[in-house]
Amino acid sequence: MTEAEGFGAEVGRLRRPTGVRPDRGFQRGEGFLPPFARKLTSRQFAPYLFLVPNMLVFGVFTIWPAINGFRISLYDSDNGRQFEYVGTENYRRILSDDRFTDVVRNTLIFVVLYVIIVTILSTILALMLDAQRRGSGALRAAFFLPVVISPVVVGVIWGWMFTRRTGIVNALLDDVGVGPQRWLLDKKLAMGVIIAAAIWTHVGFYAMILLAGLKSIPQHLYEAGRIDGAGTLQRIRLITLPLLRPTTMVVIVLSTIAGFQAFDYVYTLTGGGPVGGTTLIVQYIFERAFQSPIQYGLASAAGVLFFAVVFAATLLNYVLGRRKEAM
Amino acid sequence: MVGRHRLRAAFAATATLTSVAALSQMSVAGATTEPPDAAAEDTAAASEAVDLSAFEGESLTYVYFTDGAPDEEATRAAIAAFEEASGATVELQIVPFADLETTLQAQLSGGDVPDVARVSNWRPFAGDVIDMNEMFGAAYSDQFLPGQVATALGDNGEFLAVPSDITMNGPFINVDAFNEAGVEIPTEWTWDDMIAAATEVQEANDMEFALAIDKSGHRVSTVLSQFGTTLLGPDGVTLDPAMAETAITTLTDLMAEDTMSADFWLESGSRYAGANEMFLAGAVPVYISGNWQVAQFAETAEFEWAAVPNPCAERCGGFPGGKYMVAFQGSDNPELAAAFVEFMNRTEIQQQLAEGASWLPTRNDLIESGITYPNRPDDMSVFLADIAATPEDTYLSLASPAFSAAATAVIEEIALVVAGEEDVPTAVENIIARSEQGLEDAA
Repeated sequence: MTEAEGFGAEVGRLRRPTGVRPDRGFQRGEGFLPPFARKLTSRQFAPYLFLVPNMLVFGVFTIWPAINGFRISLYDSDNGRQFEYVGTENYRRILSDDRFTDVVRNTLIFVVLYVIIVTILSTILALMLDAQRRGSGALRAAFFLPVVISPVVVGVIWGWMFTRRTGIVNALLDDVGVGPQRWLLDKKLAMGVIIAAAIWTHVGFYAMILLAGLKSIPQHLYEAGRIDGAGTLQRIRLITLPLLRPTTMVVIVLSTIAGFQAFDYVYTLTGGGPVGGTTLIVQYIFERAFQSPIQYGLASAAGVLFFAVVFAATLLNYVLGRRKEAM
Repeated sequence: MVGRHRLRAAFAATATLTSVAALSQMSVAGATTEPPDAAAEDTAAASEAVDLSAFEGESLTYVYFTDGAPDEEATRAAIAAFEEASGATVELQIVPFADLETTLQAQLSGGDVPDVARVSNWRPFAGDVIDMNEMFGAAYSDQFLPGQVATALGDNGEFLAVPSDITMNGPFINVDAFNEAGVEIPTEWTWDDMIAAATEVQEANDMEFALAIDKSGHRVSTVLSQFGTTLLGPDGVTLDPAMAETAITTLTDLMAEDTMSADFWLESGSRYAGANEMFLAGAVPVYISGNWQVAQFAETAEFEWAAVPNPCAERCGGFPGGKYMVAFQGSDNPELAAAFVEFMNRTEIQQQLAEGASWLPTRNDLIESGITYPNRPDDMSVFLADIAATPEDTYLSLASPAFSAAATAVIEEIALVVAGEEDVPTAVENIIARSEQGLEDAA
């Protein structure tokens, strides 16, 4: 018996009531229960029982609505009470709708740029906060503050800031001799503004996640690096970033999902304009589901397609991340 | 579907003329506040029909959207009168206009059915509301303006929504700015006159823009009508491409010249945007909106302002609109809900609401007797005069089940023209195609 086995066995003996067979765990009332009930009361099944409350809520409020959403996508309804079966007509209409194509393109541009930039910036921010010795608590709070501000407020404030005629950004640019820019009137600039707003809002949150990852890297690795003559950048490249990769993957997955789900601050900032230049897929769904004329079937079909895209993107992220980890 | 449209058209075409004629007779300033004999008889008949005391101790919910503080205040006073008369209690649930339809659909789908709602579009709830003529007798709808009643009829002639106030689009001017510029206050004008006057006033007062209009398909429909066409009619899409091109070009040219704000149109994306703040901030001397702004401006404007007649092009007049009260079949107490709607639209209550909220009434007796508006009676009389000048096809356009889809198309296509991504003929083609799709969806 090894030392570890001996310690584990000792702990097992301490925890296990007398008379219980060590290979089967604690099975109360075993002698009175039929075989299936014995399985139900087994220790191996206990974790699943603990999951039941959460799975019930998840099932009722997420899985069932998702299934129902798919069902509604096969119907036409303008009031949510009367439904007419139309088969795949809603999908055909959406996929032949030029506006949907534009929306998907906008969403992909937004998500890709947002994820790349927010990941890089939050990593830099986390490294700076990790290196900060004085006032790091206050700085963390400051960077995290936008996360707790209502997204609607974020959208409204950024909208005021970037309005061409009266916005503070153009006023400042004017002061330094740069002419006013058409921030919310030019599609590319408006896309830049909503990406900047998204990054400003979320970078503190992702930086906190990465900071936790940084704190978990053993210090002796850095000491060994220093002894071996590695400079700061080398230590970051050879020690920090590789060991931070699992946490970075979490950030990438979370920011990808957040990017696809972006709506509230974008809607209040640009309303999806100018002329649809910043209309993302959630707004497209929202407008079909909740703005007159209401088309629940179309909205649900768009929702199903949206789910497929997000699922595929998340899966791709996950698979690529796992492959890199394995390497 | 076409058959249904024809049915509505038959009602509306005959009814609209009657209502227009009736409204044109309505006097405002100096009119008596006492209802005439006929009105008193109607009121008495309605009161006899409903025994409000039978609802003592019961309660109902009234989902309401407000145009501003004055109408809410007047509505609360009317509710208090109902509570006193019936012994029932009313819970007023105020929701933003933008969320109204969603809120009601969610409540109906979830079984949490409200009793009564104030809506601008009752069609999404056509299968859920009470036929008021069935509840109060076939002649009940005769108390209201035939033109408005025609817009409230179901496919089989049911009276599904009680018109509670009528609206009329039209321009407001900054009188102080006009006086400062030495420009005469218009009593009638054309589009060319209006643009020339607005530009002169803007330049004299160093204002940001000369003209503003709400970013709304309903308000742009006013311009379309003035240039001779409407979006929809009883037989389908009625937009005349040449006239629509002239109307839209007028607006987009004004934006290209910075006479109107292109930023205002584009920066709000797909959202509705009201230009009332620009007007109240003194940034623009002429603002095209509607009579519902009167009460709000009376309270908030810090300069002298006035409602002026709609400008004429091919024809004159504005574009109508209206609000309705509906009682839901699936509510806990549909009889109480219907009784509340009936009470709120009795002569004395509608008169009180019209006076307090600066609303235009929908009852025939009030049209005959007139309303003495305590606030801004001259401005209200301008809107009333414009009702008389408004062509009947505007009512038919508004009554179309595809009006909402067509109005959205107008806004989005104009935005594309303003952004330089589309020319006007293409925009008009797209508006027609999307309106046809709207009709197909509504069918």
